Amino acid sequence: MVLGFTAAAIAMLISLIPAGIVIARGDLPSAVVAYQFITAVMVMVLALLAQAFQRSSLFELPVLLALLMFGGGMVFVRAMERWL
Amino acid sequence: MVRDVCADVLLGLAVLTVASASLGVLLMRDAYQKLHFVTPAALVAPVLVALAVLVQMGLVENTGETCLALFFMVIAGPYLSHATMRAIRVRDQGDWRPGKAPRAEPEQ
Repeated sequence: MVLGFTAAAIAMLISLIPAGIVIARGDLPSAVVAYQFITAVMVMVLALLAQAFQRSSLFELPVLLALLMFGGGMVFVRAMERWL
Repeated sequence: MVRDVCADVLLGLAVLTVASASLGVLLMRDAYQKLHFVTPAALVAPVLVALAVLVQMGLVENTGETCLALFFMVIAGPYLSHATMRAIRVRDQGDWRPGKAPRAEPEQ
């Protein structure tokens, strides 16, 4: 296990707390923005953990999440624009 | 040893970028301002993380997959930010184009 990558992943997860507060307490557009922020950071966290545990198979997860980030984000954005 | 130090420095910069962007998302006044702080976390920090993996591992399959994830984020990030800004403006003003009439309120 690579300590620096693990520590960076944990620090990034802690950095998500303010965005979580925005999702819980902010208005809808702010919550959507915070959701996009969390998704972008989670891609990095998955890559950092895959590197930390030295498992090649885990590197597919950040690739997949980076692809789904666009689709999921667009669904939320269109829903906010049209129906919410 | 040198590789480890370089990777740690890059990771530290990435964490600093994400932490400051997270505070920006929390402290800014409205969604328009908050959206500006998503970009450092979605574009700058992934580049630093990919560089850290590259420095640590060299040119191997893991580095390629990290760069692939980075590529998708770099492509998708600006589109997503633009669509979000447009949706927020449509929600607020009724139309994203300047000078258009505000959206009529639904009848009760």
